[in-house]
Amino acid sequence: MNLVRSELLKIRTTSTWWIFGLITVPLWALTALINWLQTDALASNNFGDVPAEQADQIQAAQSVDSLAANVYTNGQFFGLMIVMLLGIIVVTSEFFHQTVTTTFLTVPHRTAVMLAKLAAAAVLAVLFWLVTTVFNLAFGALVMNSVDLGSQLGSGAVWRATALNGLAYLLWSVLGVGIGVLIRSQIGATVTGILLYLGGAVGAAIAISILAARWGDWINDLQVLVPSLASSLMVSGTEIPGNPPRWAGAVVLIGYAVVAGAIGTLTMRRRDIS
Amino acid sequence: MSDGQWSPSTGQIVVSGLTKQYKNVRAVDNLSFTVESGRVTGFLGPNGAGKTTTLRMLLNLVTPTGGTATIGGRRYADLTDPLRHVGAVLEASSAHKGRTGINHLRVICAAAGLPRSRADEALALVGLTPAAKRKFKGYSLGMKQRLGIAAAMLGNPQVLILDEPANGLDPEGIRWMRGFLKGLAHEGRTVLVSSHLLSEMQLLADDVVIIAAGKLIRQGPVEQVLGSMAQGGRVRVRTPQAEELTVALREQSATVETDEHGLLLVSGVDAPAIGRVALAAKVELHELTPERPDLERVFLELTAGKAGIR
Repeated sequence: MNLVRSELLKIRTTSTWWIFGLITVPLWALTALINWLQTDALASNNFGDVPAEQADQIQAAQSVDSLAANVYTNGQFFGLMIVMLLGIIVVTSEFFHQTVTTTFLTVPHRTAVMLAKLAAAAVLAVLFWLVTTVFNLAFGALVMNSVDLGSQLGSGAVWRATALNGLAYLLWSVLGVGIGVLIRSQIGATVTGILLYLGGAVGAAIAISILAARWGDWINDLQVLVPSLASSLMVSGTEIPGNPPRWAGAVVLIGYAVVAGAIGTLTMRRRDIS
Repeated sequence: MSDGQWSPSTGQIVVSGLTKQYKNVRAVDNLSFTVESGRVTGFLGPNGAGKTTTLRMLLNLVTPTGGTATIGGRRYADLTDPLRHVGAVLEASSAHKGRTGINHLRVICAAAGLPRSRADEALALVGLTPAAKRKFKGYSLGMKQRLGIAAAMLGNPQVLILDEPANGLDPEGIRWMRGFLKGLAHEGRTVLVSSHLLSEMQLLADDVVIIAAGKLIRQGPVEQVLGSMAQGGRVRVRTPQAEELTVALREQSATVETDEHGLLLVSGVDAPAIGRVALAAKVELHELTPERPDLERVFLELTAGKAGIR
């Protein structure tokens, strides 16, 4: 517990957390605007001709549960990236500022240090999720009412999506810690993390659709293996036809987080600090 | 002293057969030495001799290829509450640049389970209280060193290990450090200080451990290490009658050389003997100075040919 307290104190006594908090605000507002427009369009059936093969998916996305889940988890796309970067920084700043020597002198039990770092990053991620969710509850109710669907705050799907969103925040921060251990360079880890997150989402989606066109539809199911796609699948409010089930997204993401955390911890145990 | 629960023997450092093999270089090679409590021990060697690697193995930061290093009979990794037994100062720049000095210490206190008040006390101990709330990036090199020492003193340890603590200190800072470390040793603590500043070490250290190319060259009290090299000690003589004195001295089978300033460098006889010879020969003397061997010369002779860069 002392160790987690110390790790949280490390975060609190530098400016990183509030700078990232400040960055999150405009990104949240941006996605809020997009989600509002999208919800408005879907709710009013206002998007021209739809190719026949996408009709099913559109219909699923139009369901009230899906719309509500989407607006109440607003900000997720960038929020997950932010907490992943915070997770990265929790580790890499120790190497960047050469404080890792002091850290391991204070506590030679390195596994304990790594677990404390994972816990601290997770606490931070949950805080980010909590604040974002408070904003979303106000914003979401506003949007849902504006399209005459009611706030939907009584719907189980909304709270399930919100909770899964929290889990996603937690898991991405753990992933970030893992990346930070594997790539000690602060810049290297940050760039890799962002590429994995943004490039992973866009690049893998494109690659998979090309491969699917060539080898058959079953390849589409592989997109669940891409971390960012797995997490968006996990928090989607309803099962979307043609997509893998939501629990698969959760399993994949938990798998990545556990593997990253474990490899990170084991690596740190053996590493010479010089 | 408030750390009376440690017996003096717990502060002994024992390095035994310690070896570190990196890919292409054996940084530390079967190194053995001991460091006693109540004394300041200087850990000397040319750059690249393996001093830092040795200290890092002692502190469980680097895993040895072979051998052991213990503090008070235990490996660092096996100490419960290591900060209450051992304080270490390794790099000057080992704090987050955006964190204040006092917060740096509080973070360590939290992790070590020490009361928060220790942070203020340690800062006062090194005279940094006025800069407590300044960020680390605004600290001078000397202040950074002092903060490092404050961090090492948080747990009021019996053993202090410092890697090149005089680096970047101004003369006043070096004098402060000397007094501080001597004071700690006087209280019965173990103080191990690595350095390549030999003149400073001569003033500070009671014992020295000299290594080169990862191997032990010499270990012992400073006087003893100096004494072992003192046989070749010379006496510097200034006289207006150099030729007459040279002849007279050579009759006593002394070796006499003349330096570029016309001074005589005499070996083989001691200063009183030279004085008697001069008196008998009615030679006027202006200066008669035995050359004291200093640590620097001894060090250079001992480590000659064992280049630091391997």
